[in-house]
Amino acid sequence: MVQSTKIHIRQTKMKQILLSLAILTLSGCSVVNAYLMTHYDPNEYKAITDIRAEAQQFKDQCDDAVISQANAVKLAQDTRYFVLYSEHIPRNADMISASKDLQSIAQGLADQYTKAKVSTAFCKIKFTTVETSADRMQKVISGRPR
Amino acid sequence: MSIAEYQQQLLESYNGSQDPKIQQSAFTANQYTEMFKTGQVTKDEYLQMMNDIILANNINRSVDNMQVLEHMNTAINGLINIANLVA
Repeated sequence: MVQSTKIHIRQTKMKQILLSLAILTLSGCSVVNAYLMTHYDPNEYKAITDIRAEAQQFKDQCDDAVISQANAVKLAQDTRYFVLYSEHIPRNADMISASKDLQSIAQGLADQYTKAKVSTAFCKIKFTTVETSADRMQKVISGRPR
Repeated sequence: MSIAEYQQQLLESYNGSQDPKIQQSAFTANQYTEMFKTGQVTKDEYLQMMNDIILANNINRSVDNMQVLEHMNTAINGLINIANLVA
């Protein structure tokens, strides 16, 4: 009985040492942020996947100005939805910031169609920029703890 | 400074940096400038494209921050699991 209690105390101390080591090797605030970080959300993942897939498809339709304008409006709406979806997820500041930047890129193309004739090169570059950024964001969302 | 001088500055950023993201940004900015000079894109479009490089860099920075947190989260949970196994 006494022996078992001694082993239990030793194991508890070992746990404390390991946890202390973990905390000491990492800076305090970052540890808390990392430990409490936002978990994987399938809806958020789907929203960014839809944006990426659309941008990938839409960039091949830039030769048709009418279709492309409708595509630009659709992408601007979907990136807006992503901003709104991410906005109130706790401890999600970096994704909120990234989603707003992505929305600005997409909105710029939709706005350009209302102002002037849009060149095919510009259209392709804008959709490609959204696709590339959405790809990086999708990857980081998929890597979140589950 | 002239366009050529700014392009030279971009070239120096491209050659002087070891960071692939900085190299990519410098390369892209130079590419967009060439497209503007040859009339492939309008002034409005060019300005927006250049601004998008900054926005894309901001996104990259946010993604990098999140990746660091994810690595730390994995490490912390791994250490907690090991500590639990000891019991």
